[in-house]
Amino acid sequence: MAYSELIKNFERVRNYMREFYVYGFKRREEYSIKSARSYDNERRRIESWLSDYMSFHQDVSGKNVFLSVDSRQIPHNPLHKAFKAKSFTAKDITLHFYIMDLLADGGTLSSKEIVDHINDNYLSKFSGSFSLDESTVRKKLKEYESLGLLRSERSGREVLYQRTDEEAFHLISWADALAFFSEENPVGVIGSFLIDKLDRPSDAFRFKHHYILHTLDSDVLCDLLVAIDERRTTELVIRSLRSAREYQRTICPLKIYISTQSGRQYLLGYHYRGRRMVFFRLDAIKKVSAGNVEKHYDKYLRYQEKFDRHLWGVSTGPDHNLDHIEMTIHLGHGEEFVLQRLEREKRHGTVELLDAQTCRFTADVYDASEMLPWLRTFLGRIVDLKCSNPLVENMFYEDLRRMDAMYRGDDHAVQ
Amino acid sequence: MLFSEIYGSYFQVVAAVLTEAFDGTLTASRLTAIVQEKAFAESALSIPAALKSEDWPLLDSDLRPVLQHKPTMPLTLLQKRWLKALLSDPRIALFDPDMTGLEEIEPLYQQDTFVFFDQCADGDPFHDPAYIACFRTALKAIREKRKLRIRFHDRTGARHSLECMPYRLEYSAKDDKFRLLAIGKRRLHTVNMARVRSCELLDPYDPKKITLPHARLEELTLILHDERNALDRVLLHFSHFEKETFKLDDRLYQIKLRYDKDDETELLIRVLSFGPVLEVKAPDGFIRLMRSRIQKQIEYGTALFSGFSS
Repeated sequence: MAYSELIKNFERVRNYMREFYVYGFKRREEYSIKSARSYDNERRRIESWLSDYMSFHQDVSGKNVFLSVDSRQIPHNPLHKAFKAKSFTAKDITLHFYIMDLLADGGTLSSKEIVDHINDNYLSKFSGSFSLDESTVRKKLKEYESLGLLRSERSGREVLYQRTDEEAFHLISWADALAFFSEENPVGVIGSFLIDKLDRPSDAFRFKHHYILHTLDSDVLCDLLVAIDERRTTELVIRSLRSAREYQRTICPLKIYISTQSGRQYLLGYHYRGRRMVFFRLDAIKKVSAGNVEKHYDKYLRYQEKFDRHLWGVSTGPDHNLDHIEMTIHLGHGEEFVLQRLEREKRHGTVELLDAQTCRFTADVYDASEMLPWLRTFLGRIVDLKCSNPLVENMFYEDLRRMDAMYRGDDHAVQ
Repeated sequence: MLFSEIYGSYFQVVAAVLTEAFDGTLTASRLTAIVQEKAFAESALSIPAALKSEDWPLLDSDLRPVLQHKPTMPLTLLQKRWLKALLSDPRIALFDPDMTGLEEIEPLYQQDTFVFFDQCADGDPFHDPAYIACFRTALKAIREKRKLRIRFHDRTGARHSLECMPYRLEYSAKDDKFRLLAIGKRRLHTVNMARVRSCELLDPYDPKKITLPHARLEELTLILHDERNALDRVLLHFSHFEKETFKLDDRLYQIKLRYDKDDETELLIRVLSFGPVLEVKAPDGFIRLMRSRIQKQIEYGTALFSGFSS
């Protein structure tokens, strides 16, 4: 099949873009791919969409391709472009403009009338072999009705179609909001589609700590949002990120947990068979199939509320037992900002001031080992650390010992 | 659901081409130029040919449109449901969009569907009328390229007044805060919007006469020891920086990333958070900061020393 910069299936390019963006050090032969041509085609497509952000590195061992973006400097997430590369047929695009044109004045037409108008108004001006039958047109009309572009009403034995924009929507009044939410909203790619309709998009915003990769999971997220909104049980097809093994889970989807410090997104759902709350990374979910409405949805939501009170991040530990942790911090003169930092980052923990220069953070969480990265951000100020889980304390001290050795050794003498 | 050709680049570009054809200004070279400007890098190989060869019978041989109207398309239900959901976001108060047309639409999700579990708790006061008023004034100044007089207090509480040329509002999801980026008194100012007490719109300025200052960029070189799934965690965590990664050996990588010198303290604690799986190799000043923090920690408390000996 001839190469095209458009694609039919998003899944494969989703994986490649993630690899190019996050890893970037892999060479062609290191990708677990069907064939070299498959890699070459995907790379060429991504280059075509994102040429401004693609870079190459060549050394004796070969060439690697990577995507590098300082997301603080750009107004729009370039990865949105992948969602704008769906392939289509000549009939799809031609019918689109014909149908929208025939119904542009707000009138109603049946599928048969539309076919007649297409032949008389448009195709009669061409001598080519392009033709459209009524079943193709009818199928497209139904598709557009389900997308909300058209509405239908019965008139006797006929179904009449009409556009849904009889009243103008003032999208221009949304320009600034779209510029902001297309980047900040978890399904901001929808905003990007709307920005494409504006003649003069807003350029008022930039974004710090901006994780753009999650947008590649927007299709999965969108399906999950609909399932959550309709309170439906959901079957997930998941591909393990470590073993690449595929498996299925039937769950009650409840919330989407998002890390603002890594961009990772997780679904929290009640796993029926395991009878417990489970997190799933969205980038591991391949397919979402909504099932029946869950009659006991409120019960699971209450369970989630209770469950959330002892989460630090998204780790539930091996047995849902709680770890108790206490960290005592020294505040130097003029270091009140450390106390403020603790207050704004404490999540479900508590902070108490012990004296003018000492405070204590306390928390009871399912998995205190998940807190280690955060605890280490206070290195240089931690007077005492106690955890009911000795493994957490041991790891903290062992890591500190390794870091001390790392920066004290002669190899790291500053020149 | 999202991955549909109706949102695609090709449909957008063809609509733009047809619009120009209605204006009577479309030529073969203009057709190619529109495609090059609005579509993907290789689209110029396919779109003009398809339109000119009647594969897509939308233009006649003189590049005149066969349609009766300039192409338009209603919003899809998904787009409306997303917009409706935004109306429940507290930050929508900053924008005041026209909500007409969304009255009967069900939102795509409820605001509490999302849990931003590691977001700072002291985000900006998006419900505060005074904050909203200042934000809208600043946004208007950016949109209309007008000067602004702002009165604000700094982190010590000292009050300031500044006449400036605002050029961006920068948002951090981690902090849940907006910062105003502005040029005044010949230097760049970054002011937390929550600290702004008043905003006064002044005269227009000529944007051509201002030069945006460049960030003071430094390069940080890190060695990553891939244990405890560190490769995935580190590369994702620092993915928003412009960076390059090299594989040095099995489970050993070098990362070079460029950062703003003004954010060095923040970057320092982010590197510290990864513990011994990340090793700073350059710049020297950064290594000194790492060493200072670690040595200070070693000097603290008997508990840690007892931990060492255990």
